[in-house]
Amino acid sequence: MQLNVRPVLSALARNRTGAILVALEIAIALAVMVNATWMVAQRLHDIRQPTGIDQRDIFEFAVAGFSTQFDYGSSQREDLAYLRSLPGVIAATATSAIPLTAFGQGDGIRRRPSELSHQFWVRSMQIDAEGLKTLGVHIVAGRNFTATEVQPFSPHFSHLASEVLVTQSFARKLFPHGNALGKSIYGSTDKPMTIIGITSNFFGSVIDTPSYDGLLYPQEPGGYGDYICLVRTQPGKAAALMRTAERHLATANPNRVIFDAHVLEYYKGQLDAQNRNMVIFLSTVTALILAVTCLGIFGLTAFNVSTRTKQIGTMRAVGARRRDVVSYFLTENAFVLFAGILLGCILALGVGSWLSSAYALPRLDPMYLALGMVILAAIGQLAAWHPARRAAAVPPSVATQTV
Amino acid sequence: MLGYYLRLAFKSFRRTPGLTALMVGAIAFGIAACIVTLTVYHTMSGNPIWWKNDVLYAVTMDSWGPRTPWSAEHPTLPPDQLTYQDAAYLYGSNIPRRKALLVLMSGALSGAPGQPIPRSVLTQATTADFFHMFEVPFEYGGPWSAAADRGPEPVIVLSRRENDKLFGGADSVGRTILWNNLSFRIVGVLDHWHPQPKFYNLTGGGDGNFGKPEAPFVPFRWDEVLHRWPAGSYDCWGSGQVDTYQELIGSECVWITLWVELSGTAQRDRFLDFMNAYWAQQRTQGRFQRPRNNHLWKVSQWLKIHDVIDSDSTLLMRLAFAFLAVCLINTVGLLLAKFLRGAPVTGVRRALGASRRQIFAQHLVEVALLALVGSALGLALAVLGLKGVQAMYAASGGDYGAAAHFDPRGVLWALALAGVSTLIAGLYPAWRIGRLSPAVYLKSQ
Repeated sequence: MQLNVRPVLSALARNRTGAILVALEIAIALAVMVNATWMVAQRLHDIRQPTGIDQRDIFEFAVAGFSTQFDYGSSQREDLAYLRSLPGVIAATATSAIPLTAFGQGDGIRRRPSELSHQFWVRSMQIDAEGLKTLGVHIVAGRNFTATEVQPFSPHFSHLASEVLVTQSFARKLFPHGNALGKSIYGSTDKPMTIIGITSNFFGSVIDTPSYDGLLYPQEPGGYGDYICLVRTQPGKAAALMRTAERHLATANPNRVIFDAHVLEYYKGQLDAQNRNMVIFLSTVTALILAVTCLGIFGLTAFNVSTRTKQIGTMRAVGARRRDVVSYFLTENAFVLFAGILLGCILALGVGSWLSSAYALPRLDPMYLALGMVILAAIGQLAAWHPARRAAAVPPSVATQTV
Repeated sequence: MLGYYLRLAFKSFRRTPGLTALMVGAIAFGIAACIVTLTVYHTMSGNPIWWKNDVLYAVTMDSWGPRTPWSAEHPTLPPDQLTYQDAAYLYGSNIPRRKALLVLMSGALSGAPGQPIPRSVLTQATTADFFHMFEVPFEYGGPWSAAADRGPEPVIVLSRRENDKLFGGADSVGRTILWNNLSFRIVGVLDHWHPQPKFYNLTGGGDGNFGKPEAPFVPFRWDEVLHRWPAGSYDCWGSGQVDTYQELIGSECVWITLWVELSGTAQRDRFLDFMNAYWAQQRTQGRFQRPRNNHLWKVSQWLKIHDVIDSDSTLLMRLAFAFLAVCLINTVGLLLAKFLRGAPVTGVRRALGASRRQIFAQHLVEVALLALVGSALGLALAVLGLKGVQAMYAASGGDYGAAAHFDPRGVLWALALAGVSTLIAGLYPAWRIGRLSPAVYLKSQ
């Protein structure tokens, strides 16, 4: 049957309020669903971003001496010799920062010694020649530190090295139009440091959000009052080797304390915790809003059906098939859906632009909006389907009964 | 009359159990979402020492370099910590009623029954007034004396948790313990104390803004004696070499927090004058090259400038309100449908002499009942939801797991809000049904 939309529209006009309310619900649901999904996508992207290091097979612990006389240099050399002798250990290094945690340092780097106002802030680490192998980071250009370039421990805080490594990301930031290799850069002093190599990108220590910008010094750490041992093991052996090493080292030297021993994967989990929780929250609330909206659609259609029993009976009596009754109610619902989705589009774009300005979120991808519209239209019709079927079950004889 | 209306309401619920369940469910879910997010938000935005908001101040001076502000994001803010020389000078003033210097030190505890091998502890080095001005409760003993501050004497205050671990919760006052392999006498053990957020230390380092207070506590001057590099955050500017502790002390690096307790605006103004005079005097010697920005921050302001409430929580709260809005719109729609379906009965009641007011009241009672049942169910759901949130935070090791604790004030707020908004949502359908002309409904359909 060629469906006549006139009766549908006039029925809608007679029961405006309910339809308007459901359309409003649909609009809010669409705006929330689209933007929440967009945010979830961003968070998942952050979680999946590669760390650039082999966090599953690296463990770490920190070492601090009790007194100012504690010899950080010989202590870390002994520790590293022991760790490297353990079967199952691939490489070990002593460093000043724990990757994927807030434990670490940052430096302001300048491209010219006189340039005081223009600094590039970067997270830095002190490592030795085995540092890159331990992290699972590789050289992209130039070369690694040699053992002789590694500065022995000194109870001073500043960096003594004249060679440094930078990550690809930081190299590009420093010298966007040229090759960073071989260039001199400056830290807090006017002593030049030469970039001898460029490494693959990885996350060092993290302030707020992880960054691939990194700077590596060849130096024995300890100047800040503690050092970190990073140990890379054969796959799957990190946790067991960590316990062995911790037990041995805790008693090997009574003048110090071993603390914060963890496999780096643990810190990765902590780093992702907020994003993961946000994903759970956003998905739950979005699902609930969709469910409530479906209930609203269901309720409206069911109400319409129940108040128009006699009208349906008349329709059937004058020749409408069951199918026609179903499509009558679905058409009515489609109009409400259409209005709601149209309004929801505007709302979603508005919320999207507000989010991107207030929360520095990337602008909403229109694909998400388009997909959201289709999905909402589909489940909106699905929600009305059951009551519409019930309407079709009304027998034509109802038309002749009095209520 | 009310009893009669209630009976009618129950009858109406029984007539349409499915629809009623839908409405109650929608209200309950909306309320639960709001209670959960509001509770988290409320805890985060709380001022844990609000009763002293007008007397406690964090002290800052803009000692940063002339070229760039300390914070690129908030260029008008001075550094949130002080240099050693400024902290030491300002601490020397006797204008404040009380004053406390704070810095975090790394340390190791040993030499107790429960701790044979040294264990690393982040230690709060501070001065005796800390315990008085922040009203820190003690289970055993008390704070150290002012003389111990000057010594510094080897005295230490343990947290309750630490005391449980080391001495099995026994009164350990008077016993000695090794802190960094030095013998320290225990003078006090704190009772349970977990201000949220940890307002006095928001400058980074430690267990985060919602974590447990760093403990144990030792006199501030042990930091100078032991030459420990600060274990919390510190910021430096300029190209001066800062290599040794001695150089750190003389440097422009900021790493110390100073809190003062000032009673009344007169005392406050006098302390500001004192700071300004010091600023002017130092400026003649080449320091403080930025515009004068001496500031005393109330606790509430201190929490605000440190962005304690993370943007995710604000976002979730807004989302919860959008959800509640959808739930309420849903309720209005369903109520309208339900009331209109009952219109023939209402028509009969009107024809028999019930006034519009009475019809309105009768339906409003029904709405109120719905709101009540929905709120109760919502509360139960919220308890479950908060448990879930807590478990989630605990599993992820986040620092504000405890922020999701069930806070009666926040819950009351959310409940009141939800109850009132449901009632308002019910106003329109109740009014609408009262306006119907009875004649139409007395006819057959």
